[in-house]
Amino acid sequence: MGKEKYEQILEYLQIAYACLTPDGTIREANSLFSQVAVSYPQKTQIDDCVPEIAGLESVMRELVTGKRHIFTLKFVQKDFQGEIHYYHFHLLKGQSPSCPIIFFAQDATEQALNRQKILQQRNEILLLQQIAAERKHFLSSSILGNSLPIRHLREMVQKIARVSSSSVLLLGESGTGKNLVANVIHYNSSKAKYPFVEINCAAIPESLLEAELFGYEKGAFTTAVNAKQGLLEEAHQGTLFLDEIAELPLKLQAKLLSVLEAKTFRRLGSNKQREVEFRLIAATNRDLAELVRQGEFREDLFYRLNVVSLKLPPLREMGEDVLIIADHFRQVFNLEFKKDVRGFSPEARQALLAYHWPGNVRELSNCIERAMIFTDGPFIEKEQLLLQPLFKEEQKLRWQVPDTGLDLEAVEIQLIRSALEKAKGNKTKAAQLLGLSRDTLRYRMEKYNIS
Amino acid sequence: MKNPQLIKKKICLLGSFSVGKTSLVRRFVYDVFDDFYLSTLGAKVSQKIMPPVEKEDGSLHQFQLMLWDIEGQEKFSDYLQNYFQGSSGAVLVLDLTRKDSWQVLSDLKQQFLQLNPGAKFVLAANKVDLISDDHLHIREIGDFARDLQIDYFLTSAKDGRNVEALFRHLSMQLSE
Repeated sequence: MGKEKYEQILEYLQIAYACLTPDGTIREANSLFSQVAVSYPQKTQIDDCVPEIAGLESVMRELVTGKRHIFTLKFVQKDFQGEIHYYHFHLLKGQSPSCPIIFFAQDATEQALNRQKILQQRNEILLLQQIAAERKHFLSSSILGNSLPIRHLREMVQKIARVSSSSVLLLGESGTGKNLVANVIHYNSSKAKYPFVEINCAAIPESLLEAELFGYEKGAFTTAVNAKQGLLEEAHQGTLFLDEIAELPLKLQAKLLSVLEAKTFRRLGSNKQREVEFRLIAATNRDLAELVRQGEFREDLFYRLNVVSLKLPPLREMGEDVLIIADHFRQVFNLEFKKDVRGFSPEARQALLAYHWPGNVRELSNCIERAMIFTDGPFIEKEQLLLQPLFKEEQKLRWQVPDTGLDLEAVEIQLIRSALEKAKGNKTKAAQLLGLSRDTLRYRMEKYNIS
Repeated sequence: MKNPQLIKKKICLLGSFSVGKTSLVRRFVYDVFDDFYLSTLGAKVSQKIMPPVEKEDGSLHQFQLMLWDIEGQEKFSDYLQNYFQGSSGAVLVLDLTRKDSWQVLSDLKQQFLQLNPGAKFVLAANKVDLISDDHLHIREIGDFARDLQIDYFLTSAKDGRNVEALFRHLSMQLSE
């Protein structure tokens, strides 16, 4: 078969071809070669034209000496002005002295795209699994935000984690992340290699809760056909997290206190005392002191739990952290929904900051998830957040003096600086943001020596 | 002054999937970032010419880095090893937020060295923007790099932190 026919076949099969000398000089090539070799024929060294060949001098020597017959680089990606192509590049030992090395490239774009889809799916699943496992074990980074309350919380959590024996009481509104904080404390403590056992006291009927916590022996009650270990035993050496502790019935409160003090307990239907050691973390969104006053919660248990108490800040007190957490959820739901939402429009950001978040982080998560479902564009818009407008009265309630007090002048200075920053130094806009006239703002800037 | 001699150096980016190899190359070469995750299949070569360096004998040389952004490696495979052939160095990349991505690096380094004896390495502890300064992994990374016997940088392809320094450090090692 003549050379022309070979060339015709190669062109039909979309194979680029070049004949190389041992030092990598291109001696001849077919017309398709210039598609993969950007600077050919201006340049004639193969590694100048096909950069993927750079560094393969030893491979080419092995081909010339016959030590190797073929060398392949599979799925080499080339970007031709935004159009992605994949090639298999081959270096082959040539049969004639005039062509000791043959370079050829096969277009593998279709095969690559199919393979890429599978790889993408596999990696996304693995990624989610690894992130979930990581979160479980190293949750410190899950406490997102840079605001003062969050920095303080992180600091406290680290301190509490270092002391593994004391009971901890987590207080905070619903949705502030008490479960997350309990996990962080456990997995950052010396108990991390032991179990973290959690139970929501409000989620289990009173009649079952005792058996769940303490376990039972066979025959302890009608349906106890086998003995069962309770959660206290499961948590041995580790951490027991009792969520919604205020809902724990009074009778069980007494039993729990006894376990905490004696570090022993008995399964239902058993006389045998069992030793158990665990850290108790309890959480509630209710005012336990008030419940004690009303006789709904045992005073002695309250004081036993209240050795270390930690109040989790509501989202409305976390300032711009709302945006950090919202962005985190955007990334999570991008992965989950296979979307490419890049961020929030300026109006959406303002709306997120202005909203009072009665449902806290849980509500924020739901809000972003819902918005991500309905967003088709690159940015989440304000309308897609579906936030309820604030009532004036609620707006007023957002500002509260912290227990430690504050320096009003310092707050005013900070707010003025923040407004100027947001308005990029434009005093009229900054004054609008603060609800002041331009003159009043100027007066206050002079008073506080703000340039 | 003489024109510096342009020397091509093949550098591979090694590491598990989704650690940010592609993003590091894109930040370094094109100064862009996109947090949409698209798995790399096979390999893609990008080039960047580094600033000239004066050697002890007064001569100038300049590296043209051929940066091989390679599909995530969970283990060393024949399919992937051809990409490593003829390399002068490698950037080992891990994701600071995912400890799973650290495990593969020691084996990868050994296998890479077998193919390229004398290769130079640097470790990119990437995605530092996603974790706090006191995160346990930040505290562990020094020991990890010491065990691997390579220098490390806390990098962020997202905000560009230490990306330039990472590649500059590797270039300096290559010129030694």
